[in-house]
Amino acid sequence: MAYIEFKNVCKEYKMGEIIIKALDNTNFSIEKGELVVVVGPSGAGKTTALNILGGMDSVTSGDVIVDGKNVSKLKNKALIKYRREDIGFVFQFYNLVQNLTAIENVELATQICKDSLSPDEVMEKVGLADRKKNFPSQLSGGEQQRVAIARAIAKNPKLLLCDEPTGALDYKTGKQILKLLQDTARKENMTVIIITHNAAIAPMADKIIRFKNGTAESIETNKNPIPVENIEW
Amino acid sequence: MKIKKALLKDTFKEIKKSYKRFISILLMALLGVGFFAGLRASSPDMVDSIDTYYKNQNVYDIEVMSTLGLTDSDIEALSNIENVENVYGTYSRDGLIKTNDKEIVSKILCVDDVNKPILIEGSMPENIDECVVEESFLEGTDKNIGDYIDIEPEATESTGATDEEETEYLKNKTLKIVGVVESPLYISRERGSTKLGTGVINYYIYVNRENINSEVYTEIYITLENRDKYQTGSNKYEDYVEETKDKIEEIKEERENARYQELIDEANAEIAKAEEEFNTEKQNGETQLQEAENEINEGKAQIESGESEINSNERTANQQFANAEAQIEAAKTEVAQNALRLNNQKIEAEKGFEEAETQKAGLQSTLDNINNAIKITDNSIAEKQAQLEIAETEEEIATINQEIAELQATKQVYETNKQSVEAGITEIDNQIASGRQELENAEAQINSARNQITSQEATLEQTKNRTYAQIASARAELESSKNEIASAEAELETSRAEFNSKIEEAEGKLIDAREKVSEIEKAEWYILDRQQNAGYSSYIQDTESIENLSIVFPIVFFAIAALVSLTSMTRMVEEERQEIGTLKALGYNKFHIMLKYLIYSSLACIIGGIIGMNIGFQLLPRIIWDMYSMMYTLPEFIVSFNYQYSSIGLGLIYICIVGATLYTILKEVKETPATLLRPKAPKYGKRVLLERVTFIWKRLKFSHKVTVRNIFRYKKRFLMTIIGIMGCTALILAGFGLKDSISSILPNQYEDIFNYDMLVSLKTSLTDEQRNGYIEELRQKDEIQEVLETYMESGTAGKDNNSETVQIVIPNDKQEIDKMIKLRDVNTGEPFTLSEDGIIISDKLAELIGAEVGDTITVTTTDDVEKEIKVAGITENYISHYVYMSKELYQQVFGEEYSTNVLLIQDNNLSEEQQDTVMQEMVAENEVSTVTLTYTTMQTLDDTMNSLNYVVVVLIVSAGLLAFVVLYNLSNINISERVRELATIKVLGFYDREVYDYVTRETIILTIIGIILGLVAGYFLNFYILGTCEINILRFEKVIHPISYVYAVAITLVFSIIVNIVTYFALKKIDMIGSLKSVE
Repeated sequence: MAYIEFKNVCKEYKMGEIIIKALDNTNFSIEKGELVVVVGPSGAGKTTALNILGGMDSVTSGDVIVDGKNVSKLKNKALIKYRREDIGFVFQFYNLVQNLTAIENVELATQICKDSLSPDEVMEKVGLADRKKNFPSQLSGGEQQRVAIARAIAKNPKLLLCDEPTGALDYKTGKQILKLLQDTARKENMTVIIITHNAAIAPMADKIIRFKNGTAESIETNKNPIPVENIEW
Repeated sequence: MKIKKALLKDTFKEIKKSYKRFISILLMALLGVGFFAGLRASSPDMVDSIDTYYKNQNVYDIEVMSTLGLTDSDIEALSNIENVENVYGTYSRDGLIKTNDKEIVSKILCVDDVNKPILIEGSMPENIDECVVEESFLEGTDKNIGDYIDIEPEATESTGATDEEETEYLKNKTLKIVGVVESPLYISRERGSTKLGTGVINYYIYVNRENINSEVYTEIYITLENRDKYQTGSNKYEDYVEETKDKIEEIKEERENARYQELIDEANAEIAKAEEEFNTEKQNGETQLQEAENEINEGKAQIESGESEINSNERTANQQFANAEAQIEAAKTEVAQNALRLNNQKIEAEKGFEEAETQKAGLQSTLDNINNAIKITDNSIAEKQAQLEIAETEEEIATINQEIAELQATKQVYETNKQSVEAGITEIDNQIASGRQELENAEAQINSARNQITSQEATLEQTKNRTYAQIASARAELESSKNEIASAEAELETSRAEFNSKIEEAEGKLIDAREKVSEIEKAEWYILDRQQNAGYSSYIQDTESIENLSIVFPIVFFAIAALVSLTSMTRMVEEERQEIGTLKALGYNKFHIMLKYLIYSSLACIIGGIIGMNIGFQLLPRIIWDMYSMMYTLPEFIVSFNYQYSSIGLGLIYICIVGATLYTILKEVKETPATLLRPKAPKYGKRVLLERVTFIWKRLKFSHKVTVRNIFRYKKRFLMTIIGIMGCTALILAGFGLKDSISSILPNQYEDIFNYDMLVSLKTSLTDEQRNGYIEELRQKDEIQEVLETYMESGTAGKDNNSETVQIVIPNDKQEIDKMIKLRDVNTGEPFTLSEDGIIISDKLAELIGAEVGDTITVTTTDDVEKEIKVAGITENYISHYVYMSKELYQQVFGEEYSTNVLLIQDNNLSEEQQDTVMQEMVAENEVSTVTLTYTTMQTLDDTMNSLNYVVVVLIVSAGLLAFVVLYNLSNINISERVRELATIKVLGFYDREVYDYVTRETIILTIIGIILGLVAGYFLNFYILGTCEINILRFEKVIHPISYVYAVAITLVFSIIVNIVTYFALKKIDMIGSLKSVE
């Protein structure tokens, strides 16, 4: 059995009278340590799937199994615990706490985890050892996203979920971020899932999942992932 | 300028979308305006209510009372004064009602056209044996309508000379309760004091005017012309009344003298009459006594003459009886002699009889012979006659006849002889018979004489007995007469003594009466107005306190409202930054853009304000009235819509809220569309000062560091929370502090400063001897521990243009005053001693008239004597104003002799019941005028003070509302402003509880800061409120008990906990996905 399994997952939103199917019988699986890129047009259900996987949203039907745990069946408190211990999130808009310095933002995450990594080390890893005492507003977008990644990986999660991590960044910076993610997946043997609408970066992944109309249209395993620095778009 | 339709539509949509915010602004406006208008209107509504009540019941404007009563001529004189509309003479007196072993004292009023009572139940007293009572009377006495009560009116101290003529004040003293009324004269529980019973009037009753029997009016009530134009209690009204009072003041003296003269004349006339009566009575008495004496003397003379008469009668009787006895004796002797003589005669007579018998026998034989001869003749006659018959010839017949005739003649001779013989015999017989008869007669005579004597003797004996008995009874009678006379004499003696003492008494009375006339005090008029009515004046004072309070509270609310709407609107404008930018980019001008927000906030403000004022006008005055209605009885509370306060309130809140909006939006619209379209740079994180203090910062937990940063990050919220909490705590603390101050007044004054248990006023008419005697008597009593003699007088004390009514207290012994009254410096607590250097005045007085130690102030006594005296000290005091002066200083300054008129008494730890008993005993004494028990004074005052507790309730409730609104609002803004941050930490896997801590830790710290500041602010607010509600005659001790701080903190915490609980659930609801998706 795969490390992560999406089985017949449906997700419906009610907008007044209308029912919108965000996910319609989605199935995919991901192995431990894989770097997965999820691509697809807006509204295809990528983010919904990621949110469900991250314990931020619930399913209407179907099962989501992560490391043998049926996430879709978890109750509120267990779900929080799951987010707390197993998941690291990286968002398009970083979502750093403005009032905390870079390292403090990391600490914010580590202080609630049991097996967390040392914030300083993580800052070192993301290459911000010398900027760690800066506030988010004093950092560039890329630096901020690094802090966000540092915050996510410092928790030492089983899964690192990234929703358009480069969406707000320029090409160069975006590339650096993607590299950081790829390296993290490789070095830490961490399962990393990156959502992007930029299909060009798909070659960097071990697995590429393509979403369309609320379902995983194709799942493609890439035997030879290309390092990010070699990808041009 | 035409308002674009789309914009309007957008505005309404905005309201619908952000209804929570709209409602929160609306609520602030509602609370602000509601509180302002409601509180502000409470006082006018209360005044309005009493004004209407007083106008409807035709309540007096001016009251005139006189120590000597008032007459119809007074009424007439008053009627002529300008502005006076109606003058009513009426009566009132205290009366004692005994019911169920209880003695209650009631004011007896009479139903009149002025101060008309309102009939609650039943009917008004139509007849003189009916009365109406107040509701509590029925409750207190267990009586019902239809029951009867017996009332004994207080006897007046007679003003005239003849007090035995005291007429009954009520014609009918057994009265049937026919109804229940409410009197406009007694709107509070205070019924005044009396000389009867325990000295406190419990109730009032109304009787029919006809039932009252009084020569003079006890009160005159005056109503003024055009008074409907003024509202009672207003300055205009008071000026108008004062103006008229001054005019009455002008005729006062004249009327006083007139009444005095009238009484004097009346009394003198009565005395003259009495004197005359006395003289005639005396004359009569004397005459009667004289007569009685004369009678006794006469009686005595009669007894004497009676006695001699009896004696002479006895003597005469004795004489007569002796005579009679001698006569009887003589008669007896005569009879005996006669009897003897008779016997001798008898013997002689017998001899005579024998001779006569012999003669008689001789005669008899003669007679016999004659008789024979006659017979022969007769025979011869008979023969001749027989021959005649045979003879035929006449010769022969004639011869025969001749012969017969011859014979006849012979016979005749014979016959004559016979007769003489017979006569001789008869004579002899007669002689014998008569002799015998004579003898018999003589014998009979003797016998009868004997009988006569015997009977005479018996008669004599009887007469004797009778006479002597008569004499004896006469003697006895005489003896009893003597006794009678003796007792009559004794009686006379006592009568005389009695008469003398009566005369003396009557004389004494006359003298007394004359003295009394000379003692008739000059009449004194008291010209009063409504302010002297205890209920009315405390009511008006309460309305003033409320008015003062109604200024402070709304200010706090307005400030908070402004702050809340400022933050709310800032948040709103920030949220819609892009929209504003878009509109600007589209070419809308500033005004149109601003309009949306102005309309938004104006609508919230106006709708909230209008709802608020309507609720406020109805609710707050009623709540306040509900509280006060426990103390006051008014038939109807009038709530009116006050346009002035409502427009002021709305205007103020509009300025606060729309002003805040304008301020925010103006700042925003100034920016270029480009800037606006870009997301606003988030608030930068900054290091706080504390981080520099590394040794502390290092030690802080991570979460605490975050908290510290956050606190300083959102300065507006920081301020608002602190101000809101501070306001809340301050209001609560002020409330409790007020309560502490109020509740400490009485113990301070009556337990700490004043140490006496009773205050006894002596009658002014006492002589020194009487007074000293009575004081000595009191000192001997077991119940009494200590007596302090003082002279007390009310007067005024003033400096510059300020003056206050004061009680002037002069102890007989200045060393002893501290036993009863503690004189000590307000600040240092150092005790004062009275000296000749100056007076000691109470602190509030000093404050009010602006006097300091060393200043000279003017002290005016009741008699209007004005003197300048130096202030030697300012003493701690809480109720009323006092001026303490040594006896020496008083005599020196006022030149008057000191004389004790008030005794301050400490008892021997008596219970309240025992004090009541002692008081009743004292009041019954002739020397005592009134007795005031400290504990009853305290009770009465306590009731009044308790009313101020309602203020505390108002404070706490409003503080609670305030805290809740502010905290809730802040918590909402806090969450909406930081929703992204909160969503982030939720995504990071913070448990609900941790998220809650993350947010509320700041709130808690701010709350704590707010509470601490609030305690400080409350401390000062308390002083401010004390200052505004402080009544002139009271000094509030500026004290807040520690427990009040605890309450203030606890109550604030409770409110913030409630809000925090609400926050907890709001946090739980935060949608992570939605919040994180958007661009900030």
